[in-house]
Amino acid sequence: MFDTERAKRDVGMNDIKVAARNVQVYYGDNHAIKDVDVDIEDKTVTAFIGPSGCGKSTFLRCLNRMNDTIDVARIEGEIRLDGEDIYDAKVDPVQLRAKVGMVFQKPNPFPKSIYDNVAYGPRIHGLAKTKADLDVIVEKSLRRGAIWDEVKDRLSEPGTGLSGGQQQRLCIARAVATEPEVLLMDEPCSALDPIATSQVEDLIDELRTNYSVVIVTHSMQQAARVSQKTAFFHLGNLVEFGETGQIFTNPQDPRTESYISGRIG
Amino acid sequence: MPLHWLVLIVLTLGAVGYIVGRRRAMKSAGGDARFLHSLPAYYGTNVLLVTVVPAILLLIVWLLVQPLVINNQVTGTIPDESIPEGGSLGLVMSDVRRVAEGLDTAIDAGAMSREEAASIRTEVTDVRQRLAEVGVALGSNVRPEVLRAAQQYRSLDATGDLAMTVALLVLALAGFGYGVLRTTKDFRARNVVEKGILALLIGAASIAILTTIGIVLSLIFNTVEFFGLYPAWDFFLGTTWAPSFSGRGGASELGVLPLLWGTLYISIIALLVAVPIGLFAAVYLSEYASPAVRSVAKPLIEILAGIPTIVYGLFALLTVGPLLVDVFGAGGIFGLGWMKGGTAVMTAGLVMGIMLIPFVSSLSDDIINAVPQAMRDGSLGLGATQSETVRQVILPAALPGIVGAVLLAASRAIGETMIVVLGAGAAARLSLNPFEAMTTVTAKIVSQLTGDADFASPEALVAFALGMTLFVITLGLNVLALYIVRKYREQYE
Ligand SMILES: Nc1ncnc2c1ncn2[C@@H]1O[C@H](COP(=O)(O)OP(=O)(O)O)[C@@H](O)[C@H]1O
Ligand SMILES: [Mg+2]
Repeated sequence: MFDTERAKRDVGMNDIKVAARNVQVYYGDNHAIKDVDVDIEDKTVTAFIGPSGCGKSTFLRCLNRMNDTIDVARIEGEIRLDGEDIYDAKVDPVQLRAKVGMVFQKPNPFPKSIYDNVAYGPRIHGLAKTKADLDVIVEKSLRRGAIWDEVKDRLSEPGTGLSGGQQQRLCIARAVATEPEVLLMDEPCSALDPIATSQVEDLIDELRTNYSVVIVTHSMQQAARVSQKTAFFHLGNLVEFGETGQIFTNPQDPRTESYISGRIG
Repeated sequence: MPLHWLVLIVLTLGAVGYIVGRRRAMKSAGGDARFLHSLPAYYGTNVLLVTVVPAILLLIVWLLVQPLVINNQVTGTIPDESIPEGGSLGLVMSDVRRVAEGLDTAIDAGAMSREEAASIRTEVTDVRQRLAEVGVALGSNVRPEVLRAAQQYRSLDATGDLAMTVALLVLALAGFGYGVLRTTKDFRARNVVEKGILALLIGAASIAILTTIGIVLSLIFNTVEFFGLYPAWDFFLGTTWAPSFSGRGGASELGVLPLLWGTLYISIIALLVAVPIGLFAAVYLSEYASPAVRSVAKPLIEILAGIPTIVYGLFALLTVGPLLVDVFGAGGIFGLGWMKGGTAVMTAGLVMGIMLIPFVSSLSDDIINAVPQAMRDGSLGLGATQSETVRQVILPAALPGIVGAVLLAASRAIGETMIVVLGAGAAARLSLNPFEAMTTVTAKIVSQLTGDADFASPEALVAFALGMTLFVITLGLNVLALYIVRKYREQYE
């Protein structure tokens, strides 16, 4: 039923990149994430699945402290990146977000040229000493975003003029340009057509060689196709977490089973 | 019949029409509203509309046209010899109307009978005296031809009023009958009422547009008249503004350049104050402030926008001007002696800038809020700080809209009068010193029209040319601003 080929191919032990323990998130009185423990491995694609409103995006945003920008959000518990607590007072959330990049549901290129979109992060963080350095970074990132060939002749045109799928790959290139260690993707394909979706999925599989990737998805086929680990969320709880092949072929929890067979969600 | 009675009768007829139309519709459906094409109220409204609307329209047109027609007729009877030296037909006619009104007042006060009013003669009675007794003061003795014209005026007016009353009532009744007769259960009253309402709305819109056209036309005609008396070349390129009022002798110099320069200079200073402060305030409020702060600060800033400009003018005159003199004046703390009096370009510019702050900030606030949240998330997600996000993503994205807001603020600054009159002085001057008194186009329009110059003289007509110049400039700015704002709106839709 599910094509878990990549998952089967690649299950092995990697280092733990992000470790979350006892994470709680409240939006005012709404307890959106309850007691979540999860270990995200390096050089692995981890998928978060679950019905709408179960807290996947919320938990994802905890991992790069994007929830700090929401006034009513409150986070408890512990999240460690390479053993260091990211909610510690001495951690600068701005620096953290350079290390933990994010790609959003809707492609959101800045109203700037394609080049400036990709160069945005490196410029802010001073990653390039010279213009030539920057050119190299931009080209490398666009290649990693698998969009270089399509845009190499129009780098000075606005990024907003690209098609939806190209925009999303541009956003991935933009996130990659700051050399993050972890890449968070919140439903990166939900606004894309099937062809663009499969391009982005191939890209995610390639990114795995360098990064730890976390992807939220509504499509279980997609989770099965691209991920090695899968976490199933339900009503703010992490119900089941394990190898993707395991989750899809032999779920332990009845809620997981009914969700992947289409009975809830 | 007095006007308000007439209107009341028409409205009553309309109300009766509503009830009758409704009843008739119900009856034609055998008392069951489900057999009607439209809801019963629509049949009533239909009768109401056909009764009232044409009658009221006729009333309005009649009231506008009747005085013109009567004026025309009466004017024809006044012989040319009776127009005094240096006067005009218009002045004689205004005498005629004044006497006619005086006779009306006398009749109302019971001091004169109708017959007497129609037949008295200056040769026999002292009309001026009789009218003075009822409180109507006339400037000179009433001349016989004026009195006769006034009497004719009154009789024509009475005939016209009677004709109007009859026509109005007939039209209302005809509408009533037509509306009632048309009411059957298959009549599509709902659609007709819809069309009626559409016509009403179009009417309202056209009144707005027509008055604008009227104003522009009157500006244009008077400007053309002015350029007939004064060369356009000297007006647009003259560097001296020195009007001499008729009677004092000497030719006027009416060069617009010093006034335009004053307008421009004051506006630039105002914008230099308002744009940075307003923009920074908007950035703070929309990007940094917590909801609690915003809910207090935003209304507070907007209160500034509700202060009448005359109050700002007083503030300029009484507070800012003296304060600036204390600093930059001869005896000031720096002993610079740059500033001689409180009224100066700087005074008016600063205060006008304060006036424009809420304008710029609330427009920019809207524009910054229209930048999608996804842009902020995208930038913050790449590890940018908030101010980097504002500078590099939000402001560039909002820039066209902000430029539009600045242009709108500029056109307000250019049109501002009160602050200039009180804060900048009245001297038309081409100078670079911002501590000197200067004046603007608007302030001079006021002073040209409030003087005692004859309305047909170039010194008064120049006000229209000035108004036209100002109108063209602000219109250009507004069109440009709207174009930019609209173009920007499309970007995110
Ligand atoms: N910005 C926010 N403010 C308040 N409540 C929020 C906000 N974002 C999400 N929530 C709430 O948190 C819960 C989880 O939402 P979310 O993480 O977006 O779910 P998912 O991504 O799985 O669909 C929902 O009940 C939602 O209403
Ligand atoms: Mg979501």
